Amino acid sequence: MSDYQIGLMGIVVLLVLLLLRIPVAFAMFLVGFAGIVVLNGTPAAMSLLASESFTLASSPELVVIPLFILMGNIASATGLSRQLYNAAYALVGNLRGGLASATIVGCGGFAALSGSSVASALTMGKVALSEMDKFDYDPKLSTGAVAAGGTLGILIPPSTGFVVYAILTEQSIGRLFLAGILPGLLLLVLFIIAIYLVCWRNPALGPAGPQSTIGHRLRALVGAVPVVGIVLLTIGGIYIGLFSPVEASAVGAGTVILYGLVTRKLSLTILWKSATDAVGTTATVILILIAAHMISPFMALSHIPDAIGDFVLGFGLPVVGVLLLMLLVYLVLGCFLEGFAMMVLTLPIFFPIVLELGIDPIWFGVLVVLTLEMGLISPPVGLNVFIVKSVAPKVPIGHIFQGVLPFWLAMILCLLILVIFPQIVLILPNTMFG
Amino acid sequence: MSTLRWIADRLVWLSAGIAGLALLFEVGVILVDVVGRAFGRPLFGSLDFITMSMVVLVFGAMALCDRRGGHVGVDLLQSFFSDRLNRAIDALSALLGAIVFVALAWAVYKSSQISLMLNLSTNLLELPKAWFQYVLIGFALATAASMALRAVELAFFNIDVRSEDKEGSHA
Repeated sequence: MSDYQIGLMGIVVLLVLLLLRIPVAFAMFLVGFAGIVVLNGTPAAMSLLASESFTLASSPELVVIPLFILMGNIASATGLSRQLYNAAYALVGNLRGGLASATIVGCGGFAALSGSSVASALTMGKVALSEMDKFDYDPKLSTGAVAAGGTLGILIPPSTGFVVYAILTEQSIGRLFLAGILPGLLLLVLFIIAIYLVCWRNPALGPAGPQSTIGHRLRALVGAVPVVGIVLLTIGGIYIGLFSPVEASAVGAGTVILYGLVTRKLSLTILWKSATDAVGTTATVILILIAAHMISPFMALSHIPDAIGDFVLGFGLPVVGVLLLMLLVYLVLGCFLEGFAMMVLTLPIFFPIVLELGIDPIWFGVLVVLTLEMGLISPPVGLNVFIVKSVAPKVPIGHIFQGVLPFWLAMILCLLILVIFPQIVLILPNTMFG
Repeated sequence: MSTLRWIADRLVWLSAGIAGLALLFEVGVILVDVVGRAFGRPLFGSLDFITMSMVVLVFGAMALCDRRGGHVGVDLLQSFFSDRLNRAIDALSALLGAIVFVALAWAVYKSSQISLMLNLSTNLLELPKAWFQYVLIGFALATAASMALRAVELAFFNIDVRSEDKEGSHA
């Protein structure tokens, strides 16, 4: 049996294990380890297992994952997310569909505090859904806005999606963080336009909330100052070169802890829960990364990426055509696979093609993370939809999927804009890093 | 069995607690380094502290990740499978996970022998690498034990402890 056939067999076994619901990390460990044993012998597989486990677990770049998750957890527990929502509500709540737009803005703000889309959806869902329910918002629009808004968490830095992409492709986390800012803001604006259009077509979906007084607006905006300050300190600190991403994550987490202690909103119990949640999530992500580093060498040894690359390039498609083809694959896979799993499974195959075609890896990373974001609200396994369902148990899952449709279309538009204008992605990292 | 579960849960929470402390330690170390740097006195060996506490953080939390059902899976066909098959798959997954962690512990143990032989250590503080490899091995074996117990509970007692403490830990 040739190396190529062994590689193909490995992919088939991996797919079967995944469909059998074996956890992604263990399925990849098994196939990667067994594949290397077959192709290169047991000592090579054992040596790789030991070195990759220790190297990844001790990787200083990965420190940003637990620290930014800790920051988001504490921000949520100490009411910073509520303050964000209140400020957004004071600004646009009185407009038609304004509460849904406020939810999107709140999600965008929370996304800048947390690297997790699920945390964003869960946190803003708890805050915003009851408010929208109070003002007779259609549950499709309200739940759709929360589910879609939550996805901003993975595009607007800090983002665990970018960290995972950076580790898998050896790109700069700082560059990716900066590259995600403008696309994240663009998507946020497109989401608000989608809400406006939906409510313009059917005003009953999102009635206008009561007009806030100037005093109320000012109080709400002042309440958001700590959040804005922390975001400016961390992300702004990376941009002006004051901090590395790792330092920014610690400064952010430290500042949020300090804020919680000073305002007496942070108890030891909350700190303990936030920290253990953060390390639990980190373990999940890093175990998948370690498994990905087992399967990547197996793929390389079996020459599968070369064969697929040759096959794709054999069509003679232009670079943009190949790029769109890969994004299409991501969109389809996103309907069935969890985002990180999709990334670790496909990047060993796609990334060599990306490099060969001269596609900017930072641009590609943002496009991949955006499609990964779309997977979070795509049926049948859109994770954020199920998160929102857990917060709004009375809303049928089908209604939530209907509610996210306008936002999904906005994401497609955003993807196309970013494909046509890569400058939107690259201008900030290129300005900062040259 | 309940005694074993009690012991396993204490072990899970002990290792998760150590991981949580490692995380807070990292926040402190980096902050002291950043503030110190602003005054021209960065913390000596901060990178060594960060990298080695990261090992404690990551592997200390592995058992908790499993205990809470945090591993990412593709549950596309779950609703098409019978309860019995789903339970069997869960038990098999837990067993496979236990084997993976034992293999990982064994591989790192062999690697730690080389670290000792070559006297490998961190760059600045010269902390022996083997110490942290032993920590990793300890946590990996604790995770494997907890997963093996979960596999037994699922296979023979129809108990899924994750449903008592289910929590999404997707990123």
